[in-house]
Amino acid sequence: MKLYLELIILLPLLGGIVNLLLGGRLLPRRLTELLACAVIWGSFAATLGAAASYTAPVTVELGSWLAAFDFKAPFTLYLDPLSLSLCLMITFVCGLIHIYAVGYMKDDPSFVRFFALLNLFVAAMLVLILAENLPLLYLGWEGVGFCSYALIGFWYRKPENATAGRKAFIVTRIGDIGLGIAIVWMFQLFGSVSITKLNSMGYLMPIGVITALGLLMLLAAMGKSAQVPLMVWLPDAMAGPTPVSAQIHAATMVTAGVYLLMRMFPLIGVSPTVTAAIAITGALTAFYGATCALVQRDLKRILAYSTISQIGYMMLGVGAGAITASTFHLLEHAFFKALLFLGAGCVITAMHHEQDIFRMGGLRRTIPGTFWPFLAGAVCLAGVPLTGGFFSKDGILGAVWLKGGGFYGTLYFVGLITAFITAVYAIRMVLIVFAGEVPLNHSLSKGEGKPLPRIMEWSLIPLAVLGVFGGLLNLPEYLGSGVLNSFLSQPGSHEGMLPHATELLLQGVAAVVAVAGISTAWFRYGGDRRQQRLALESAPARGISAFLMEGWRVDALYDFMFVRPYKWLSSILWQWVDEGCIDDTLDRTAALFGRFGHWIGARGDGRVSRSLIGMAAGAALMIGWLAWVML
Amino acid sequence: MIVPLAHVLVLAAVLFGLGLVCTLVWRSNVIMLLIGIEIMLNAAMLVFVGGSNHWGVADGQVFALIIMAMTSAEVSLALALVVYLHRRKNTVNVDEFRELKD
Repeated sequence: MKLYLELIILLPLLGGIVNLLLGGRLLPRRLTELLACAVIWGSFAATLGAAASYTAPVTVELGSWLAAFDFKAPFTLYLDPLSLSLCLMITFVCGLIHIYAVGYMKDDPSFVRFFALLNLFVAAMLVLILAENLPLLYLGWEGVGFCSYALIGFWYRKPENATAGRKAFIVTRIGDIGLGIAIVWMFQLFGSVSITKLNSMGYLMPIGVITALGLLMLLAAMGKSAQVPLMVWLPDAMAGPTPVSAQIHAATMVTAGVYLLMRMFPLIGVSPTVTAAIAITGALTAFYGATCALVQRDLKRILAYSTISQIGYMMLGVGAGAITASTFHLLEHAFFKALLFLGAGCVITAMHHEQDIFRMGGLRRTIPGTFWPFLAGAVCLAGVPLTGGFFSKDGILGAVWLKGGGFYGTLYFVGLITAFITAVYAIRMVLIVFAGEVPLNHSLSKGEGKPLPRIMEWSLIPLAVLGVFGGLLNLPEYLGSGVLNSFLSQPGSHEGMLPHATELLLQGVAAVVAVAGISTAWFRYGGDRRQQRLALESAPARGISAFLMEGWRVDALYDFMFVRPYKWLSSILWQWVDEGCIDDTLDRTAALFGRFGHWIGARGDGRVSRSLIGMAAGAALMIGWLAWVML
Repeated sequence: MIVPLAHVLVLAAVLFGLGLVCTLVWRSNVIMLLIGIEIMLNAAMLVFVGGSNHWGVADGQVFALIIMAMTSAEVSLALALVVYLHRRKNTVNVDEFRELKD
């Protein structure tokens, strides 16, 4: 088991380092690509091995890391059902993304940097998932943050890409402050940073302290998982190459916040304030993301907002205490969102880097190999009954319903409305991109579509299968028991079970909502209405749709609230305080001394020997006087 | 045999005086001036060591070591300066260098 766990993390790390050091100059391009993919699949194989020999949660200490006085944070890995299932998902999805990236980055000259960072990204995420103590988790957390910064700004020659990378880094850093404070505080309170120990020591502290800790961790999760109000970085993060977007959104980075809350749930879940805060953050974010995705014109931005929205669902699930349902949705979302992003990458490549969906159309005939998997991803996202997305989303909504009461009841309806909007925008996206005819002025209409590398379309298929049939992983209770459910539920945890009739009813409601959303989208964009609707919406957005288009104008608000005061303050500090006061004072003083020196200098003859005699005579005088006084 | 502090101080004073005279008098050569400074520094060091011995505290010896380190750094810099000065005016006479006046 120890060997497996070591391999899971070390292989991607090794791949990244070897590629960084040797790639480009010593290794031919094929070998770099092969190495990058091979280490991830090797890591997947190691995870499979760990899963095969898994019997009970294990803790493996690989070596010591930080140790000072009674503070100890060794390299300790912890494998339990939660981390195991996430590791399986991460290595598998990232493996496919790596293979896809070989095709996508075919013409890019800086492939070494790309693949090395991609590998390091996976390694950092696996450290985060497998960490047994919080400092180690924090190491992975920051590693993921750094790699995302470097990859979002991968095409750094364009200033807006570099800015997007910086924005992602800075905004997530705000959340990291919360995690940092929480870790240090927990060490001060409990004298330990081990996650398993902390989770069993919650009863030692008054509920208020737990609430504060939980809120700090929620802040961290908000930053990393792009939850309201720290979600602004994620739509801009689309500046990176599409495989990076897929990796950040589907498999690795944004789920880290949700994972942290799931991991620490036994500790922080006892505070009703914390769970309520998590749930309301999730519900609000889900609604926010869905409404914004409804009007976007950029294919990747639609998917970005949809990620925000779906992560919101996961948070809502955590807030309702349904860790299993949340994990299930996390896995399911990873499959279909990776699928959608990779499909979008295919579309964008085929359209010669065109991302505006209003200039697309008719792609179902030109690239059928992308169309079918993409459609599968979209129906999963829309929550069409019997797809994986339907079951996982319903699991969360069911858990929220089960909590009952006015608060969670309201959140349930918010979730339901969001599900409706989700179905609308998912189908809208498919209809606009793939239905209709190829726009006349586009090169595709003249039969000049760029041929897609085979490898890109092939890597979509396993994801499509997993997305659509992922529901089998965790069937509802009345259809036999879920594999994931029995695997994830730990002895002693009591996640409530719905009565079968209620569950069926809730799923019926969810199905009706999904179908209603799809038909709404069809009535707006289906068939011949597509052209008119496009003509209508091509005009610059006004009113409510402009509001949604700009993401509720949160960017403008933050600009007004934080960025501009900050710039104002720094310009004052720079031009007035630093240049005006400090620099000028020093300059004037120096000039004064200079003038004084010149004045003195004009009175001497400049001979060193004479100055020395003067100095000696002065010293003798002083010493003589002192001796006179003392004696 | 223990040397009394007074003897050490007298020796140091004599050394210091010699160094000072050397510095003040020998103006035709910068190097001699530097040697004079070194002698004065050594006199100071001797006082430190003598005091340290007299009161049985190690601090003075530590200071002596620090002065040695500082002196070696200073000498290497000063010799470089001497070479540079010699290149400029082809002399090492102290009084030839009077640009400080302006």
